Amino acid sequence: MNATGLQTLFVKEVRRFLRVPGQTVLSPLISTTLYFVVFGVSLGGRMEEATGQAYLPFIVPGLVFLGLANNAFLNTSSSLFIMKIQGTIVDLLVAPLGPGELLFGFVGGGMVRGLAVGLLTWAVALVFAGFQLAHPLVTFGFLLGTAYVFSVLGLVAAVWAEKFEQINFFPTFVMLPLTFLGGVFYSISRLPEPWRTISHFNPMVYMVEGLRYGMLGTSALPPAVGGLILLMLALASTALTFTLLARGYKLKQ
Amino acid sequence: MHGSVMPRGPVSSAPVLEVEHLVKRYRDVTALAGVSLTIGAGEIFALLGPNGAGKTTLIGAVCGLVKKTSGTIRLFGVDLDREPLRPRYDVGLVPQEVNFDPFFTVSESLRIQLGYYARPPDEARIREVLEALSLDDKADAQTRALSGGMKRRLLIAKALVHRPRLVFLDEPTAGVDVELRRDLWAYVRRLRSQGTTVILTTHYLEEAEELADRVGIINSGRLLLVEDKVSLLRRMGEKRVRITFDAPVGELPIALDGKAELSEDRRSLVVTERNGRPRAGEILRQLHAGGINVSEVDTRASRLEDVLIEILHSGGGGAA
Repeated sequence: MNATGLQTLFVKEVRRFLRVPGQTVLSPLISTTLYFVVFGVSLGGRMEEATGQAYLPFIVPGLVFLGLANNAFLNTSSSLFIMKIQGTIVDLLVAPLGPGELLFGFVGGGMVRGLAVGLLTWAVALVFAGFQLAHPLVTFGFLLGTAYVFSVLGLVAAVWAEKFEQINFFPTFVMLPLTFLGGVFYSISRLPEPWRTISHFNPMVYMVEGLRYGMLGTSALPPAVGGLILLMLALASTALTFTLLARGYKLKQ
Repeated sequence: MHGSVMPRGPVSSAPVLEVEHLVKRYRDVTALAGVSLTIGAGEIFALLGPNGAGKTTLIGAVCGLVKKTSGTIRLFGVDLDREPLRPRYDVGLVPQEVNFDPFFTVSESLRIQLGYYARPPDEARIREVLEALSLDDKADAQTRALSGGMKRRLLIAKALVHRPRLVFLDEPTAGVDVELRRDLWAYVRRLRSQGTTVILTTHYLEEAEELADRVGIINSGRLLLVEDKVSLLRRMGEKRVRITFDAPVGELPIALDGKAELSEDRRSLVVTERNGRPRAGEILRQLHAGGINVSEVDTRASRLEDVLIEILHSGGGGAA
């Protein structure tokens, strides 16, 4: 194994997004803060009247998830895709870097950005909703697992995409709807049928609820199921990405 | 971690690269049609051929950019099918297309490159490579701020910074100024003196003529010829010697026998020397002995370009 090569790629990926902090960290942080202001502060009172529970703390786990998942995905997907478009992918393919080094080098960088945005979002939430951490291990398990899975999925998207339109497909048409329908702003237990049942097929729901359990101590779904889904997604996405990289799918001619 | 970079021994005749029956097909197109080639340590090998001949595909297959359809590639004696990564610690590639990572400076790009090849950060080596390629004053410049020629210099620096034993230069001087071309030629010669093997493709046949020990000519995915450059030029090349007389000549004191051609106005004689025959010097001596006054002798030796065109037109060189 080329440990120095892996470390070099990982550090390069982290430094890459830190070179443009306004775009990679600050911008998502502002978006999430706006969610707090719009959904939490202005609509929160009405939601509390309807549900009988504090709304601002309720949306914190979902917003942390939103920032974390999006940025973990965007880091790996944009980095590898830009390398393909600019031709710098040649540097990686010629170098003695195997699929494992490529996978974990990119994913490590994506996880750092995802966690940075997620944790900063949480820090912003302190101002609006105070600090709650019911189950620290569960919380950090879900944070790490979510960062890992979405970083790997970003890599899959970058390997597959050949055009800018294609690289935008996943965040716009898959992640955004699944996240907004994933119980970030509402509890799925309050949904009418058949939407409640349909929501059970959305893996994002389990991740958001798992994080909610970790932070607030309550959730609409058992966190163990969420943990299992996250683990299975991690294993499946890792196996898929490793195979794609080993075969040089859409990377080598 | 890869702990043992392959030893950098002295120049030897052990093959650095062995390619056997290499085939690459893209759906309906055969880019490489069974190429076999052996490159020895410490030589400069020029791969020549027209656009689309298969030069870049061949280099790509060796460097891990192209998935071969069939055949065998051994780098430093290691079969790439069995160990695709280990030999690559000692390979460097200057790709044909200029690329650069806009997020990093020139010296950062070289530090990253060293890391990919499991080499520790080596500031002295980075300075040495930057100086050799006249990039030392750009060490802290952002790569996106470099001119086209400077970007190409950086590509070359990246391919060399980890001290590879085998370097591929795919059209390294395409579109660059004369100064860089001369700098690069000097550096390639220096690399060879240090035992580095260089395989280059180029459109500038002057470059191959200047640098190469051996040349390979490829067309339509087939290697038509591999030969020592000097012997190729001697075997296939020709020297045309035009001898101009003071005045139109009458009977010549020598039998031409197709060895030379007298102009219609009988004022000049063209001797075409191939493989050293007929010897123009001997004809000149006979003319002088026959009392014919020569006013001018003009010699033009054929160059690699002429040989390449002839081989491509004939479909082979007769001695691959």
